Amino acid sequence: MLPAAGEPAAGDSWGMLACLCAVLWHLPAVPALNRTGDPGPGPSIQKTYDLTRYLEHQLRSLAGTYLNYLGPPFNEPDFNPPRLGAETLPRATVNLDVWRSLNDKLRLTQNYEAYSHLLCYLRGLDRQAATAELRRSLAHFCTSLQGLLGSIAGVMAALGYPLPQPLPGTEPTRAPGPAHSDFLQKMDDFWLLKELQTWLWRSAKDFNRLKKKTQPPPAAVTLHLEAHGF
Amino acid sequence: MPAGRPGPAAQSARRPPPLLPLLLLCVLGAPRAGSGAHTAVISPQDPTLLIGSSLQATCSVHGDPSGATAEGLYWTLNGRRLAPELSRVLNASTLALALANLNGSRQQSGDNLVCHARDGSILAGSCLYVGLPPEKPFNISCWSKNMKDLTCRWTPGAHGETFLHTNYSLKYKLRWYGQDNTCEEYHTVGPHSCHIPKDLALFTPYEIWVEATNRLGSARSDVLTLDILDVVTTDPPPDVHVSRVGGLEDQLSVRWVSPPALKDFLFQAKYQIRYRVEDSVDWKVVDDVSNQTSCRLAGLKPGTVYFVQVRCNPFGIYGSKKAGIWSEWSHPTAASTPRSERPGPGGGACEPRGGEPSSGPVRRELKQFLGWLKKHAYCSNLSFRLYDQWRAWMQKSHKTRNQDEGILPSGRRGTTRGPAR
Repeated sequence: MLPAAGEPAAGDSWGMLACLCAVLWHLPAVPALNRTGDPGPGPSIQKTYDLTRYLEHQLRSLAGTYLNYLGPPFNEPDFNPPRLGAETLPRATVNLDVWRSLNDKLRLTQNYEAYSHLLCYLRGLDRQAATAELRRSLAHFCTSLQGLLGSIAGVMAALGYPLPQPLPGTEPTRAPGPAHSDFLQKMDDFWLLKELQTWLWRSAKDFNRLKKKTQPPPAAVTLHLEAHGF
Repeated sequence: MPAGRPGPAAQSARRPPPLLPLLLLCVLGAPRAGSGAHTAVISPQDPTLLIGSSLQATCSVHGDPSGATAEGLYWTLNGRRLAPELSRVLNASTLALALANLNGSRQQSGDNLVCHARDGSILAGSCLYVGLPPEKPFNISCWSKNMKDLTCRWTPGAHGETFLHTNYSLKYKLRWYGQDNTCEEYHTVGPHSCHIPKDLALFTPYEIWVEATNRLGSARSDVLTLDILDVVTTDPPPDVHVSRVGGLEDQLSVRWVSPPALKDFLFQAKYQIRYRVEDSVDWKVVDDVSNQTSCRLAGLKPGTVYFVQVRCNPFGIYGSKKAGIWSEWSHPTAASTPRSERPGPGGGACEPRGGEPSSGPVRRELKQFLGWLKKHAYCSNLSFRLYDQWRAWMQKSHKTRNQDEGILPSGRRGTTRGPAR
């Protein structure tokens, strides 16, 4: 894409290119370098990235406490139970090529929908037997997760993408069936926490990628040509 | 966060995994641990048991096409493999377990009893709840901060160790009328407390009790009967200031403000002051400080740092004679007495403005003497205050005298004169 570097010399594309190169070469010498208007979605993408790192940190301590509450073997490293009822959880892992080729809108939408679902499940965690402190930590984490959703929504709005609306009937319900035993519930809890962690890892990479994409390349800047030679 | 367990599934890395291998894992469609999952059932599911009782359990594998049988299955309890002699194969698809003399559950979410296939994958699980029924809660104490609310605290029976989650519920009702109400705001002043914020009547007795419930049963405390007006307390007096009294090296003046809530409540207050020397743990208490907002501590050690606290008890509420509950002590305020060479006796009462007795023997006698003097000699302007002023002056001039000694030996002894007035 060509920058708005003034009127191109008529008919001479090579000349235009030379002109462009010269402009870029002299860039540091140009005193008045004005960017157009607002900073764009950059700061909010950065904030969202920072938020995923913060949540990751929060989750680490929450998960540690929660898994201790579930008791061994749930809190043992390398524990990998069958993934049964957790089929409806949004999966973070995806084919690398697919991930790379996601367009911004899809990338953001997947993040938004995933956290909406995960938040819903997290809220449905009914752990009356847990200590008051653990319940408070859970509530606090839910609030932070809500903040993340808001942040992602902000980025989507800044980039002009519509927020995904939940279709009626696709709301995740975590109501266990009548035969849902306590142990199965524990396994569901385990996978919920694990999926949350994987999503936060993935989101950090998603937003890092978005950050790089939306950083305006130098050529896209409008120049006030006060530099010598023009 | 735990990751892959050894099993038929490829092990995923611990944390954090580099994205590439993690994503490839999914691409390869790696089978998850427990490919024979969801094909077994443990009975009983999530049982509740008394400590010391026994458990007979079975793990039944059904309809697994890969031909998994009861051979090779094993049990773990809380992640630890159980001794093989506790299990036996009942039939081709069922493994039995016999546990005796169970201990209390390791965690309140239940002990994790798991049935594993030969390769270690989890086939089924059951949560065991082993514990004791709750014992009677006791020692309920309640207080009201503003005559509109009530906070209560209690002690759980058996020090709360039932190994099971025990739910405590504070209930209350008007003694002669109405239905049971349940307190809703828990853990306000510690784990076994509750706060009732409103809708409480005065001048009428309430019955209050605590119900403890867990999976094995419930217990109820004795009923406490009280009238809100009898258990009123306030915040501690704010703005406690301690300062020196001129140059007097054995006195400190304590001043405070009466708690603001008192204004609305038409009751009086009595106060208590306690003080201690910085390094000591022994508090001296000054009792019966009624309705004043200042007090002078006397008989203190010179050149010492003292910590002082004040607390308040509202009484005579709406004309009743009953006392309320003492407030918490105010935050300690510190002050130091001026230095001196002369030692001073210990004391324990406020210094008078008027004529209250003091406990220091010298001062007491002096008081009596002055009192007598006033009556029998014509020294109408004699007062204890005068004595204190004299002492302060003596102290100052004593210091100057000591200073002068070094400079002007022939010095200004003539300045040692009695008080001018």
